[in-house]
Amino acid sequence: MSNSLQYLIRRLGFYSIAAWAALTLNFFIPRLMPGDPAAIIFARFRGKLTPEAMIALRETFGLTDGPLLLQYFSYIKSMFKGDLGVSIAYFPEPVANIISTGLLWTIFLAGTSLVISFIIGTLLGAIISWKRGGRLDSFLPPSLAFIGAFPYFWLAMLSLYIFGFKLEWFPLRHAYSDDVTVGLNIPFIFSSIYHAILPATTMILVSLGGWMLSMRNTMLTTLGSDYITLARAKGLSSWVVMLKYAARNAILPNFTGFGMALGFVLSGALLTEIIFSYPGQGYLLLQAVRSQDFPLMQGLFMTITLAVLAANWFVDIAILFLDPRTRK
Amino acid sequence: MLKTILICLFIFSAGCGTKKERKEERALTIYQENAASWVRNFNPLSTSGTARWPTSSGIYEPLFIYNSMRGEYIPWLCTDYKWEDNNKTLIMYVRENVLWSDKTPFSSEDIAFTFNLKKIHKGLDTRDSWGYLESVKALNKTTVEFKFSRIYVPGFDAIVGQPIVAKHIWEKIKDPLRFSNPNPVGTGPFTEILRFDNQVWELGKNPNYWQPNKPEVKKLKFPAFPSNEQVTLALISGDLDWAGAFIPAIDRVYTKKNPEHHKYWFPETGHTTFFYTNTMNKVLKDSKIRKAISYAIDRSLVVKVGMYNYTEPAHVTGISGKMAKWHSKDIETKENWVKYNPQLSNQIFDDAGYYKNKNGFREDKNGDLLSFDIIVVSGWSDWIRSAQVISQNLKKVGIKAKVKTYDFGAWMSRMQKGEFDMAIGWAEKGTTPFPLYRGMMSSKYIKPIGKDADANWHRFSTDEVDSLLLEFEKTSDEYVIKDILHKLQNIFINYAPAIPLFAEVSWAECNTTYFTNFPSKNNPYAPLSPNSAPENLMVLVNVEVR
Repeated sequence: MSNSLQYLIRRLGFYSIAAWAALTLNFFIPRLMPGDPAAIIFARFRGKLTPEAMIALRETFGLTDGPLLLQYFSYIKSMFKGDLGVSIAYFPEPVANIISTGLLWTIFLAGTSLVISFIIGTLLGAIISWKRGGRLDSFLPPSLAFIGAFPYFWLAMLSLYIFGFKLEWFPLRHAYSDDVTVGLNIPFIFSSIYHAILPATTMILVSLGGWMLSMRNTMLTTLGSDYITLARAKGLSSWVVMLKYAARNAILPNFTGFGMALGFVLSGALLTEIIFSYPGQGYLLLQAVRSQDFPLMQGLFMTITLAVLAANWFVDIAILFLDPRTRK
Repeated sequence: MLKTILICLFIFSAGCGTKKERKEERALTIYQENAASWVRNFNPLSTSGTARWPTSSGIYEPLFIYNSMRGEYIPWLCTDYKWEDNNKTLIMYVRENVLWSDKTPFSSEDIAFTFNLKKIHKGLDTRDSWGYLESVKALNKTTVEFKFSRIYVPGFDAIVGQPIVAKHIWEKIKDPLRFSNPNPVGTGPFTEILRFDNQVWELGKNPNYWQPNKPEVKKLKFPAFPSNEQVTLALISGDLDWAGAFIPAIDRVYTKKNPEHHKYWFPETGHTTFFYTNTMNKVLKDSKIRKAISYAIDRSLVVKVGMYNYTEPAHVTGISGKMAKWHSKDIETKENWVKYNPQLSNQIFDDAGYYKNKNGFREDKNGDLLSFDIIVVSGWSDWIRSAQVISQNLKKVGIKAKVKTYDFGAWMSRMQKGEFDMAIGWAEKGTTPFPLYRGMMSSKYIKPIGKDADANWHRFSTDEVDSLLLEFEKTSDEYVIKDILHKLQNIFINYAPAIPLFAEVSWAECNTTYFTNFPSKNNPYAPLSPNSAPENLMVLVNVEVR
């Protein structure tokens, strides 16, 4: 086990360097964009503010032309203290508060759809590869690839139009209905699940094919291995061979992919959020970029980066358990 | 099992979600700003424009409201004013019997306090009031005295438009710049925050409002909409009562679905959208060339293709609608270079020595092609289509003009730095054409190319203008004001510093199923658009429950 510990610590060291690099890029890249936030806010009024307002705006935001290096050090310092600063687009709200308005919803919607999509996709992949060339195998991969090839916004708009607007089966917008009280109560929970069905279904539909195909392909390679032949020769039931012998090995690449995707959940699903008026990180990020809200951009990128790294580290741990070779 | 759960969910949610509210419970449901989730901020003084609508024109109120539909000032928290001491002092008479929503009486002290707060915190002084004010004092309970450090009559607009905050609350706030004012106390018709969640918030009426029996509406509701498509859908399905959204082909998309109750009104604001030509460009610095470009533009086609015929081609002065009262009497006799006349345009280019080459494009004397970029904000589809029409128009007279789109920030930066040839943009606005002509022609705003100019992006100036502007600042005499504005118009027509494209209109839709007495063409007591602060206050007060 000491080997495993060493391995984990080594990975942790690698991730902290990656985190630092990401934080640094995170600081410099937004500053390479043309324009400045005061000008953008000024312009939002389309001529209704006097030109002198620019001075007041710069004053308000404390925009400084101080040396970049000094700005960088104070940025690193406040990041370590967990202080993400104050948003410009939503001034004077702290960035942390703004991120929290949508974070849970993003985790709920994008996270649930990812998990469901991963489980169903992987299972389907294992099953269809077992009966290679069977009816399911010749039907599912092409049809899911077909759906996955649609532009997502088109699929989402269409389903909103048909199931939301025309048939009125599902709500047109939002994560919960207007007449429930937000909190841990039954109507609210039901309402939020009901509101999540349509957006989640569209997200699952487009991503299902990917999980299924990659699982199917690795399964096929695994199924050709000697130990599978041995397992079959021992007379084990086909479910045991499929799930315990073949799938357990074939799932490793898919699992790494799952870890990556889990990290990216926090970046939100921009199109889903816009089309279904769902609160979340994606729209915030768009808004931050549009109004050159550096603190908000940095805060969002940092949560995404840290989530990706953390998810990867957990995948490393999980793989230690799934794959005995890493423990040697 | 799954099926049963789904059916239960469906029945349950349908039961509590989609039922139509009874009439007396219906909140006036409004769309004014895009958001995926709401952030609680009701600071009316914040410069950043991040407070929720209608903070500065609904929860808080100004001294007077300029009604752009009638062209007059409506007394609000003040009842009257007078200029004294050769326009160096302004006296305001404060309305009596006004209460804050916490029942504290409102007085002249609150007004003086608000202005003096802006003096201490420069970041709050969005309209640069302390650039011309010397002191603001409450003389007695109902009189406030504004003393000016220099005579600046146009400052009146900024003064009367200031939302007033309560002294007894704000004197305790240490940093008003960063105060998000979560539980506002105002004098306006709607002051009570009934709920505030990330997807919806509700604003209830002020029980102590100073206008008797108003507002009739009990509460306002604001669902969050991140995109225009969602707003359109909500309007069509009757979920919204009042909105300020751009909807393409509105008659077919919106009105036709329910002609009795689905209404819209897009009145002209009196302002204009301009086609900017950078006067620092060696070709475009010549006013004759700028006029030739203007003659080449088929504005009725621009309006049809770019703006769905929602507006009209611009007037040569850049002012129209209710602002047209400032036109001089002999305006019809002036050169009308906004009229479509490609022959004349060709002739001017020929006379200036820019001849067409064998490909039909014009060259200067050195054989260099006349070629320009028109810069537009990416995603602003109305302007992009307009620019494309203009590009085609210019091609017909032998001018190569390519449409280039930039992200908003990049576009704004290019405009301010003067790094463009041609562009579509807005202009300075106000209650008179003064801010427009100042922004268009004052040398005060001119910066070298590469440095940010806050106005006059095209960098035009002429000696006559600056002295006229200065004279304007000093007078409150209606006759002199008119005379100066006429002179400024003539200079504008003479030099064509920028090219007026089409009249600006404000988008607004309403649904009269549950509420009535929205402003309309036949009842134009204010513009319908919720984006017309502070005028939207008059709508909030006057909308009635059906």
